[in-house]
Amino acid sequence: MGSAPAQIPTSFGHELRACLRCRLVKTYDQFRESGCENCPFFKMDGDNERVVDCTTPNFNGMISVMDPSRSWAALWLRVGRFVPGCYTLAVSEALPEDMQALCEEVHVQYVPPKRDSNNELHQFVGFHQKDFA
Amino acid sequence: MARRRDEEDDDQEYEDEDQLLDDEDYYEDEDVGRGRGGSSKKRGRSDFIDDVAEEDDEEDEDDDEDEFYGGGGKKHNKAPRVGSQFFDLEAQVDSDEEEEEDEGEDDFIVETGGDLPDEDVGRRMHRRPLPLREDEQEDFEALERSIQARYARSSHTEYDEETTDVEQQALLPSVRDPKLWMVKCAIGRERETAVCLMQKYIDKGSELQIRSVIALDHLKNYIYIEADKEAHVREAIKGLRTIFGAKIMLVPIREMTDVLSVESKAIDLSRDTWVRMKIGTYKGDLAQVVDVDNVRQRVTVKLIPRIDLQALANKLEGREVPKKKAFVPPRFMNVDEARELHIRVERRRDPITGDYFENIGGMLFKDGFLYKTVSMKSISAQNIKPTFDELEKFRTPSNNGEGEMVGLSTLFAKRKKNHFMKGDAVIVVKGDLKNLKGWVEKVEEENVHIRPEMKGLPKTLAVNEKELCKYFEPGNHVKVVSGTKEGATGMVVKVEQHVLIILSDTTKEHIRVFADDVVESSEVTTGVTKIGEYELHDLVLLDNNSFGVVIRVESEAFQVLKGVPERPEVSLVKLREIKLGGSRSNGNRNGDSLSRFGNFKAPQRVPPSPRRFSRGGPPFDSGGRHRGGRGGHDALIGTTVKIRQGPFKGYRGRVVDIKGQSVRVELESQMKVVTVDRNYISDNVVISTPHRDTSRYGMGSETPMHPSRTPLHPYMTPMRDPGATPIHDGMRTPMRDRAWNPYAPMSPPRDNWEEANPASWGTSAQYQPGSPPSRAYEAPTPGPGWASTPGGNYSEAGTPRDSSSAYVNAPSPYMPSTPSGQPMTPNSGSYFPGTPGGQPMTPGTGGVDVMSPVIGADNEGPWFMPDILVNVHKSGDETLGVIQEVLQDGSCKVDLGSHGDRDTVIVMPSEMEIVPPRKSDKIKIMGGTLRGVTGKLIGVDGTDGIVRIDDSLDVKILDLVILAKLP
Repeated sequence: MGSAPAQIPTSFGHELRACLRCRLVKTYDQFRESGCENCPFFKMDGDNERVVDCTTPNFNGMISVMDPSRSWAALWLRVGRFVPGCYTLAVSEALPEDMQALCEEVHVQYVPPKRDSNNELHQFVGFHQKDFA
Repeated sequence: MARRRDEEDDDQEYEDEDQLLDDEDYYEDEDVGRGRGGSSKKRGRSDFIDDVAEEDDEEDEDDDEDEFYGGGGKKHNKAPRVGSQFFDLEAQVDSDEEEEEDEGEDDFIVETGGDLPDEDVGRRMHRRPLPLREDEQEDFEALERSIQARYARSSHTEYDEETTDVEQQALLPSVRDPKLWMVKCAIGRERETAVCLMQKYIDKGSELQIRSVIALDHLKNYIYIEADKEAHVREAIKGLRTIFGAKIMLVPIREMTDVLSVESKAIDLSRDTWVRMKIGTYKGDLAQVVDVDNVRQRVTVKLIPRIDLQALANKLEGREVPKKKAFVPPRFMNVDEARELHIRVERRRDPITGDYFENIGGMLFKDGFLYKTVSMKSISAQNIKPTFDELEKFRTPSNNGEGEMVGLSTLFAKRKKNHFMKGDAVIVVKGDLKNLKGWVEKVEEENVHIRPEMKGLPKTLAVNEKELCKYFEPGNHVKVVSGTKEGATGMVVKVEQHVLIILSDTTKEHIRVFADDVVESSEVTTGVTKIGEYELHDLVLLDNNSFGVVIRVESEAFQVLKGVPERPEVSLVKLREIKLGGSRSNGNRNGDSLSRFGNFKAPQRVPPSPRRFSRGGPPFDSGGRHRGGRGGHDALIGTTVKIRQGPFKGYRGRVVDIKGQSVRVELESQMKVVTVDRNYISDNVVISTPHRDTSRYGMGSETPMHPSRTPLHPYMTPMRDPGATPIHDGMRTPMRDRAWNPYAPMSPPRDNWEEANPASWGTSAQYQPGSPPSRAYEAPTPGPGWASTPGGNYSEAGTPRDSSSAYVNAPSPYMPSTPSGQPMTPNSGSYFPGTPGGQPMTPGTGGVDVMSPVIGADNEGPWFMPDILVNVHKSGDETLGVIQEVLQDGSCKVDLGSHGDRDTVIVMPSEMEIVPPRKSDKIKIMGGTLRGVTGKLIGVDGTDGIVRIDDSLDVKILDLVILAKLP
């Protein structure tokens, strides 16, 4: 196995939150105490607000990834490069913009959740305008 | 390659970190090799090459080319060494079935980039993992190192490009990937199981050979475990108390991605989302999200308050509040009302939004809405489809325009897939292209390609489906395919944005529906016409022993027309309140829904003939069923009456209307309609006339009675001969009934011959909104057999007349009554444009043959009978007399004894009328099975007389019209 696994959620209820970037699932307290193993640059540990900003309780499904590099599911879900741990299949919100900027600063990729169609919407608008011109 | 090297050269500052860089590359390539792209230029290019290499590899072809390519990338001076390494790699690849095969190539390429400035050390270090690859443990240690290295210096980590679908496609599972196994677990413990297995893995290390465990929120009772072998799964789940049952199911490869494709649900909960309250006072109520607090898991929603102000006032003043909460209907908060009840209303400004709220008893109100902050768990946001009415209620004047659009967009979000189909007419409702109409050409996931209506635009435009709305024009015939009005069809009469106003085929009423809910359709349905086993137009027996006809089907109840003709009553009846419906045995369902009443009515047909010589009074009520068909008043309407008292005494006229005790009579001699008291008329002026008139207005079934009215026919004959009369009688009747007389469907006699008579379908078709209206016009004319019937009919009618030859020489005093019939003619014409002078055949005549035997049996002989008191009006005088004898020709020998000069005169039936009996009068029964029996009228109930029969002392209830007063 590769890197040390992330903390394992200590509960399975609604205290769970998922990191908006890597989708790691832990409890709020765990995030606040030790941050996110994959995204240390968020510096969530000890920063309540950061935890709130960078994690969400709204996620769907859970996957415990034991062996990220050799798991097809992890690959498919694009958590294959993260540490072993519990992840969610999908989060429903995008990272706040300032946090996205932070990702950029540290050269970490951030992929917003697919369902956020705002970007596409803008593209369409652009497309129309082109059509008219 | 060359370019890549150039970049490397440019990135001089990285050169010293080459090893690390390479390591990182290595890691990355192995890990993400199948399509994960780097987003810096450098990485991107490298990935591109990787991809090519990988593809080639997987297809086991073009190895040579690869080699060549790789070689080309090398600088010549390095070629031999690199070449040998390459062969090594190839061997490696061949022997290695795992995906790591890619990384050999990657390494190779990376190396070519990296080896430029020299650094053999770096290269060697980098290459080291290769021999170790068989030992995966080591491999992963390297991996781990590389991760740490990478995060330690995050200054130039890889920067993935946004993943595209194509790249994702490259990740599709293959036979070489681990498999997914479905394992049953305790319900509600799915996540727990996944976490437990994770913990187990951490405790036991790689002993546990499973790769991942998936718990889906929407799949209860199961988890998926990813592993190469079933045995691994079995091993892993051993001892887990949340997993029971040893059944392990393999997920087919092509279904593996489906397992992992989930849609996030929570995004639905955003501003303006429609939700429903799950608990509390507002359970089930529609609410709109105003604010979402994801941290505290709370949502602020706006609701239509259900607040009993009086109760609130009591509570606030500390008075006792009844514990039991009454149901309070939703109503917008009226601040003034609250103030009137001395409830303190504070107006406060929300510091964040700047909006003003009224604070009443701790609750916040704005624009009449209640703003309530609740837990996310107490609302449901999935698949909320607000009904039209609910949305209407939510519309306040203040947000009419903009608010509607907001509501609209959230509505659209609830659309099903494939909402738009090729060919649909659509209109753009948002954005730059607003109001552009077009037709759907192609539908992609969220984009709809439309062919715009306007010229000068590109052939097709892609528009997001949320900006589109189905478009209909007034005149379109549509069908409602979803929502509360589902199933209804109708014609679009007005379009208000996304709301259509449709003229329903069934109810002929306007219904408002969303354009989204309808499709264009030529189908004509009656909408929802059925609940349970009862349908529109069914005759039903209700709980309280009343009965009625279903005239409208609402969502959960029927509107039933019931009551007596004098007091028609429409009531809303729930399904359970119906005890019995019309039988369905006569499979004539779609042809004529009314015909099933036939089965419902009296089994034996009671001769309606007595009604014929009614004094215009209410019809003979045989078992009370005729009533429904035709009110007692109706019988009088249209009859020719003579006014006996008052200023119009002596005038004759046709009754046009009746209201209570007043009768409106259209005078024959003056073009005038007068109102007289009902008691002032003698309505049996002309016995034949009422007959004709009643049949004209009343049930069609009366037409067949003609033959039975033997004595009258002589008089009629002259009038009939012109041929016009039969037309009126026969033909018009059924149509009229349906068109004019709402009770018609209930008239049992009619239905009887309707069943026997296909033509009647036409009339019922007219009644049934669902059928094409034209049928109503075609139908009455068809039967070729009928054309001849009238002839037979009349000869038949004539037959009795022959037997009672006294009538043969019918005097023409009757002629005057003919005009009274005339006003009707145009009417009939209007219904039968094609047949004004035509065949006297009618649906009715068809029934004659059927009916006559019955009638004949029940009703023989002349109406007038010896011993009864009559009102003789010869030469303008009116005298009472007693019939002594009925002569063969129908005239009677009348003894005017007590009132006149004791003379006995011969009186034509037309010259006399029966004297209606009053209470306590001795009577003689003139019709029905009791004909000839005498008795005493002991009471009058409406149109019924309660008679005690002299012989048997039985009490009978008989129609007054067949009772004659005895002197």
